[in-house]
Amino acid sequence: MIHRREIRLKINGAEVGGTVEPRRTLADFLRENLGLTGTHLGCEHGVCGACTVLIDGATARSCLTFAVQVDGCEVSTVEGLARDGEWHPLQQAFHENHALQCGFCTPGMLMSASELIKRNPDPDESDVREALAGNLCMCTGYINIVRAVLAGARMTREGADESGETRSS
Amino acid sequence: MSGTATGWTGKRVLRKEDGKFLSGQGGYVDDLSFPGMLHAAVYRSPYPHARIISVDTSETEKIPGVQAVITGQDAVHHTMKSLIPVPVKLGYGCLAIDRVRYVGEPVAAVAAIDRYVAEDAIERIRGEYELLEAIVDPEKAVEPGAPALYEEMKSNVIWSDSFTFGEVDQAFEKAGRTLKKRFHIQRYASTPLETFGCIAQFDAGSESYSFWSNDQRPGLTAGLLADALGVSQAKIRLIVPDVGGGFGNKRRAPYLLMAALLAKKAGKPVKWIEDRRENLMALMHACNGVLEVEVAFDTDGTVQALIVRDLADEGNNLANPTVHSLLKMGNLTNCYKIPAVRFEARAVLTNKCPSGANRGIGKPFMCFAIERMMDLIARELDLDPAEIRFRNFIPPEEFPYRIPSGTVFDSGDYPETLRRSLDQMDYERLRKIQEEARARGRYVGIGIAVAVEPSSSNLSSYILTTGRRLASGMGEAALVRIEADGSIRVAVGDAGSGQGYETTVAQIVADELGVHPDTVHVASWFDSCTTPWLYASGNYSNKFSGTNTAAIIGAAEKVRTKLLDLAAHLMGADPQDLSVEEGIVHERREGTSSMPLAEIARIAYRDLLMLPKGMEAGLEARHYHVNPQADLPDSEQRVRTQLFASNSVHMVMVEVDPGTAKVNILKYGMVHDCGTEINPMIVEGLAHGATVHGIGAALYEEFIYDENGQFLTANFMDYLKPTTMESPHIEVDSLETPSPFTSLGAKGAGEGGAIPAPAAIANAVEDALSPLGIEVTALPLTPGHIWQIMGPDLSR
Repeated sequence: MIHRREIRLKINGAEVGGTVEPRRTLADFLRENLGLTGTHLGCEHGVCGACTVLIDGATARSCLTFAVQVDGCEVSTVEGLARDGEWHPLQQAFHENHALQCGFCTPGMLMSASELIKRNPDPDESDVREALAGNLCMCTGYINIVRAVLAGARMTREGADESGETRSS
Repeated sequence: MSGTATGWTGKRVLRKEDGKFLSGQGGYVDDLSFPGMLHAAVYRSPYPHARIISVDTSETEKIPGVQAVITGQDAVHHTMKSLIPVPVKLGYGCLAIDRVRYVGEPVAAVAAIDRYVAEDAIERIRGEYELLEAIVDPEKAVEPGAPALYEEMKSNVIWSDSFTFGEVDQAFEKAGRTLKKRFHIQRYASTPLETFGCIAQFDAGSESYSFWSNDQRPGLTAGLLADALGVSQAKIRLIVPDVGGGFGNKRRAPYLLMAALLAKKAGKPVKWIEDRRENLMALMHACNGVLEVEVAFDTDGTVQALIVRDLADEGNNLANPTVHSLLKMGNLTNCYKIPAVRFEARAVLTNKCPSGANRGIGKPFMCFAIERMMDLIARELDLDPAEIRFRNFIPPEEFPYRIPSGTVFDSGDYPETLRRSLDQMDYERLRKIQEEARARGRYVGIGIAVAVEPSSSNLSSYILTTGRRLASGMGEAALVRIEADGSIRVAVGDAGSGQGYETTVAQIVADELGVHPDTVHVASWFDSCTTPWLYASGNYSNKFSGTNTAAIIGAAEKVRTKLLDLAAHLMGADPQDLSVEEGIVHERREGTSSMPLAEIARIAYRDLLMLPKGMEAGLEARHYHVNPQADLPDSEQRVRTQLFASNSVHMVMVEVDPGTAKVNILKYGMVHDCGTEINPMIVEGLAHGATVHGIGAALYEEFIYDENGQFLTANFMDYLKPTTMESPHIEVDSLETPSPFTSLGAKGAGEGGAIPAPAAIANAVEDALSPLGIEVTALPLTPGHIWQIMGPDLSR
């Protein structure tokens, strides 16, 4: 019998605990134990990026991360992007630029892009393409996704100018 | 279109479905779960061809949490009907029974409390096999004496036939010039990011089954499941939730059957979600094959006749092994006026993954072969590649144009599409840039490919290949219901897989009913118990614009007629004098009465004694559309294989790096014409995505088997998809030549980019390497492949 371990972590700002087998992936823990099905599994071998989440602010493949590895960490998923019923500028920009079709890659794209614009608030096209190179999209050909991330970065900058502070995420 | 149209059709309306996907609230099949649900895993053949001696599952029973195990013996009486025209009956099931015929073929399945335990269990299954010689190469598989995949068949050729339309032999005798070439294409697939999957539930009390699956052909699958499970179709409920991309790939009913058998045995719902390795090696591959093309042409470049010999490697495809050849036949002559054609087709089985539907089905290869030939003719005659095409186009004034095999191209202006492309890319300037680059020793080339993008398949065309009439025509079904509060609900037998139907359908219905699209809610899920549907129902064959729209409009018109009849009764007016605008029914004359749609709808459902005598309550209508363009094969075997024809021109400039043999795309442009664009934003998105599928097929993607039939590309590191780094910016321009045959003038838009992109890139690569005098006759153009065809010349 495989022994289980207790873990405690923060997900999208909320304290969460659970008892998991050491082999349980973070993706399965999010999706099945917590019902956070916005994090998707596209390849389960760390290439497609659909399962991308932020662990302590840095992107990670939740399909290749064990849940026990994030004990004590802060995990952000697509479900935590919107604040107080308002979309994150990237979500708004994806909508306005038609940057999604089937929507399956979208959560991972948004998480990778959110890390990029936090690190580099004013990226150019090649920055965006490089940051998203680990996220496969089979529908859009990426053109509108790249446009949307550039627009989302611009909206975030403008929002920060207006409020006089940087949005924390 | 009705007189109340307020013009939502044609607008770049932002998508209504985005919100749920952007917030992680999409409802894909793997997001669903039910109390007590088990998870399945599949034990698969490690061998390409072997006789099964035994499958020992006894060890799995020792694992806590395993609740059901099945092998081929449990599934032996549950087979699906094959549509193939062989004299022996070859059914196919969900698990191999006595032989395995490709690496990854399902052999046994386990259901357990979670996926981890299920995978533990399949590792304990012991299969014993007697290895057989594997047939990998289709050209060897057709040779007399080649080992047969099915002993019931005399040969691996599952179908062959020859079709001649027009005076082919005479044209070849008379022609000034002829040219003959052979082309090869690899196996690849569009690999939607969400893999295939299903949940099956058995209700022992009523002996009925419920399924949730991202299946793209629910209209077909429901019947296949009823037959295979031995229950009436009324006892099958099939629900298709949000689908994470399809591209034709998600059509494998045997997996639903497998899950159903496990669910029945375990007495609990069973979920099976394909993993990516299973998806790449065993779901389906676009058919690989060989095309031999002979053309007869005049010295001015006019093509007079064409002979195409098609060898389609269907792998272990027993479901529809003639589909690739058949759809090529409807597309043989591409955009050209070629009066005489012969098509000799052979579909052959090999020890590979079943071939299946993939964006464009057979047409990317057909286009590749014909467009390569046009470039080769141009080179022989020292003509510009654009000029050879202008000389052969079907003239715009000849539409609707019937091609020799019977398909009717409804509308188009092919010369204008090419002229637009030449302008878009500034072709003459590109040629100058190329000349300068070449002078500096760089391998820069320009490729042009033109393409017809057929849409709405005519199921009658299978009669040609099966000799049996199992289905005919093309259709779709839709429901439109004005609810008691005036909001509108729509359901269509094709709920889509990412094409934005929740938006485009709302646009269409909003125009028909004179309301705002925000008030129209389109079901994103298909449910065989509530959605109207036909055998033809599903998300395939590019059929939205030419077929689904007519079903939707048909239902909306019925509801509108009833709405106006009821309103006329309530308002004491003549229905002829009424119209609906912005949700209000008006009399057309000024200063007369009006009534909000919501008030009329409330009466229709609640205040039943207000209805005129004899009128049914409610405001709901279903429409089961029969596409009037579909026909049956005539006495000369001519048939409309597909019913509408969009077209496009792709032009690309590439550079081949002589050091690495890598192809870099410098500039990519496309001009397309899919008639009326219902939502140009969505159409452009589809064009981008489809084109990148074509670029992947041209440059990166290849399912590789070694000579023994072992599969070598079972992950996304060995099977390369274009990422943001490889995908170019694509300039998209469009013409709108409305179809005279469709409700809105719209024609297919989803597959287009995938069809000419491989041809355009191949033409560009050959042009880039023309100083070295090589010919491109095979895909994909990976560095390894280019290095091979270049030989030692490259480094010079």
